[in-house]
Amino acid sequence: MIVLNRQLLDEIDQPGGLEKALQKAIELEHATLPPYLYSYYSLGADNYAAGSPNAEIANIILSVIKEEMLHFAIACNILNAIGGAPCIDKPDFIPVYPGPLPGGVESNLVVHLKRFSREHDHDTFMVIEEPETPLHFPVQALLAEKPVTIGQYYTKIRKKIEELGQSIFTGKPSLQVTGGSFPASELFPILTVADAVKGIDIIKEQGEGTSTSPLDPDGKLNLQDTFAHYYRFAEIYYGKALQAVPNLPPGTPPDQRYRYDGPPIPFDESKVLPVIDDPSESGYPPNTAAHYLNDNFNYAYTSLLKALHRAFNGHPEHLGPAIHLMHSLRELALEMMTSTTLPDGRNPGPSFEYQPVNPGR
Amino acid sequence: MSYLNPLRLHFYGSFQAAVSTVNNDPTHFDNATFKPVYQQRQSGQNANGWWNPRGDANWRMIGCDITSASLADGKPAPSTDPVLTCSIADSDRNVAAKLVDLDPAQQGVSEIWGMEIRIANQHGHTLMRGKYKVAPFIDLFERVFNGGPGDSMGCAMYQSVLTDIEWGNIGDSPFLQALREASSNGLLSIKFNVDAFDDDFTSPTFTLGRVAGTIGPAAGDEPRHFILGRHLMATAGPGQGFFIPAGNLNFCQAQVDQAAGKIYLDLGNSLCTQKPGGPFQNLGPMMLVCETSDAAGNPEYLPIAAVDYLANGWYKKTAGVAVLPETRRLTKDELNTIARNPLAILLTPSSGPQAVPAISEPSSGLYIRADQFVFRLNPGESADVDLYATQFGAPLPAARVINFLDDTQIGGGPPVGVPETALDFPRTLVLDQSGRALLKITAADPGNPRQYIDGQVYGIRCALEDTLAPPLAYPFDPNELVSLLVFDKFTPDQPITWYGSLQPIFQQYANLYPIMSRFVDLSDYNSVVANRRMLSVAFGLDFGDPNYMPVTRDLSGDKRKAILDWLKNPLDGTPPPTLASPAPPAKANGSADVSNDLPGRGGKAAFYSRLKTRRKGAL
Repeated sequence: MIVLNRQLLDEIDQPGGLEKALQKAIELEHATLPPYLYSYYSLGADNYAAGSPNAEIANIILSVIKEEMLHFAIACNILNAIGGAPCIDKPDFIPVYPGPLPGGVESNLVVHLKRFSREHDHDTFMVIEEPETPLHFPVQALLAEKPVTIGQYYTKIRKKIEELGQSIFTGKPSLQVTGGSFPASELFPILTVADAVKGIDIIKEQGEGTSTSPLDPDGKLNLQDTFAHYYRFAEIYYGKALQAVPNLPPGTPPDQRYRYDGPPIPFDESKVLPVIDDPSESGYPPNTAAHYLNDNFNYAYTSLLKALHRAFNGHPEHLGPAIHLMHSLRELALEMMTSTTLPDGRNPGPSFEYQPVNPGR
Repeated sequence: MSYLNPLRLHFYGSFQAAVSTVNNDPTHFDNATFKPVYQQRQSGQNANGWWNPRGDANWRMIGCDITSASLADGKPAPSTDPVLTCSIADSDRNVAAKLVDLDPAQQGVSEIWGMEIRIANQHGHTLMRGKYKVAPFIDLFERVFNGGPGDSMGCAMYQSVLTDIEWGNIGDSPFLQALREASSNGLLSIKFNVDAFDDDFTSPTFTLGRVAGTIGPAAGDEPRHFILGRHLMATAGPGQGFFIPAGNLNFCQAQVDQAAGKIYLDLGNSLCTQKPGGPFQNLGPMMLVCETSDAAGNPEYLPIAAVDYLANGWYKKTAGVAVLPETRRLTKDELNTIARNPLAILLTPSSGPQAVPAISEPSSGLYIRADQFVFRLNPGESADVDLYATQFGAPLPAARVINFLDDTQIGGGPPVGVPETALDFPRTLVLDQSGRALLKITAADPGNPRQYIDGQVYGIRCALEDTLAPPLAYPFDPNELVSLLVFDKFTPDQPITWYGSLQPIFQQYANLYPIMSRFVDLSDYNSVVANRRMLSVAFGLDFGDPNYMPVTRDLSGDKRKAILDWLKNPLDGTPPPTLASPAPPAKANGSADVSNDLPGRGGKAAFYSRLKTRRKGAL
């Protein structure tokens, strides 16, 4: 579980605290993407097509990636709605990997950029997404203490918005970003308290589920019938899909209603690209193919942040180019991970660093 | 006014052109004979899909430093001007630009689509941003003489304008303030030379090349893609592959600045180098002169200035632009002589004391040029070609222009340029008082003459009637040709189905662009349907968007519409019974056609090799 600095919760109550909290939430949502993307890319293009050995795993990771992007967009819309301005184009927007996630995280989790493995899925992805009160199927003892989680952080943000009421919704409606590849039921203009509450609930329940179900239980959010991130990553780890236990007697406890005993989610480790862990710009010597490829990637990645910054700061039409950049990152990463090898025989991978010019040397 | 004026900056760095090479061979367009090995890199004597079948067409400007800048009075910008620490970069808010051939039968006019050009400071902040108006390269020549096969030996130039200019915080740069002042019409002029392209896929700099260029103001009423000025004409020397200038200097352009008493001579795409990206060949002392004749008709040369082209770092700092004479102004008499007589460049080779003209303007100084010269037309559409004619750089009014079909610069694969009836254009025109004329070319359905390649390629040459007198020896630039791709009319089945209309179209793209398989298997109905939302966006983008699909921009309007309609309701239809049968054997591609100069054979060098061989065969 990611544990946030409790001070962050208190700061929400201070003047301007809500804006700061939403900016922090935006940074947190983004910070999960490079590690997820790096592992996803390492599965290789051959595993993206249905029926290929690791296709299920790739699909699950991709589904989480897309929702993290949605959550990022929702948080930006809420910040714009209350008169703030998301700041996305800045060097320290990107955390240093390996390192902690932003937001005064108190846990010991050091997030790496690593090729996909079940261990990485378990030790990093499941930890990042672990809910406040995870349902353990099979059962595992619940944690005794209840520290501040990302979910609680959002809960507090929601509470603060409800407390302050409609009067804080001073942002221009024209700043709201919708569309892209997101359905209107999930990415919508945030104009009222109710909109913001709905947006936060989507973030919380897609990300964490609820305390009683890995699913959105009553369908009021109109979400697709998929499990929260934690449970999706757990499916990968256990190698089996999570499914409802049939014919349950009434009163069955929540953590016995599902089991990881569905169709297998196979993993063929030999198909994962042999890319290095924790790449860095400085680790690729000048005038090597890896260096040029990494520069192209980082320039496109920085351009993506700039396009998003622009989209959420008065040019919503720039969401389209941002999405195209997102697709191009995959192409650039795959080219990097497959077209050249390093002296140790492994393949390079992109380092996800802020690089607003393409130096070419 | 253009980049060739006192107020300008020069830049120097790298470009990337990650083109796909599968489509460089016209026969690869034939679905019936396509083989999976055409998607593999060349290997030994097997050409396969040449040197970069996984290319994605991305074009990038990389590490381009601004190396010098000069102000409107011709003086260099002060060394403290921050522009000298800036770079020329491409877009930081959209995907990479794309490099696109017109057609496998016209690979000599590759255009850059969707490029944004920025002046960026060291932190990446944008001080100027503009859109590069789509333009092809021109005047490709063999920069490394006898350097061997391959695209690394070639050099070409791009000239266009930047539009939709936005300025950033330029408060501390007098140069950029002056440039902004001079571009109040919203335009800047840009020209750059590209050479030393690395087509060796084992090299760390694979798909990178060298770029050196110039940016300056652009007058609104002048052509976008060439200088309304002086044009020195090379003649072709013998040899395979790229154009080899007989006098060792390629086509070049110059501008006479009457007020400043200077000539701006651009040799950036004229000089040859010792090796790809290396120093210039020492051609001996070089002198810009004006050619006159004595009473007996013997040539006399009025010296203008020596060109110090071998000076250390000269190309990096100037992109090949010389300001002549460097230390004085031309006198009124000299300017008068220059206005009525051809410019020439004399070289004094080491073998002899006698300076000889290496390249010059034609004796009558007549010149005509189409501004934009690459067009894609659907049946019923027209191209408006702006023609400009000059004599010694001054507008040439009221002369007659002859326009004729010319297929000397196009070819490969099925016959090109037929049927001639698919193009309607006036065979003669008369220039207006400003030396301009509009050539309107209207396309009709060519009727699928090439069968497995959509549409037909045509070339139209525009010449001043006065330059066509026998024995047709008037010097001209073979590259100055209007190239057109005219698409076939296409009528899909109704309702539109995958097997009834679209499968062969998608199959061809799947064959030619293997990189797409990372996103979607274009040959597979289910995969295409699964990705229909993404495909609808990509096929529906503006034609100039860098992410427009297909990046090759060789999909006709009819087919595009059919695809977009079908994606809304993607019916599969009935598979034809023959689809499952094995493809007939392909023609012997990659054996007889390939010699030991393989590394360059799939690129521009190969295209020009084939073209020259074909022309020889025709003679």
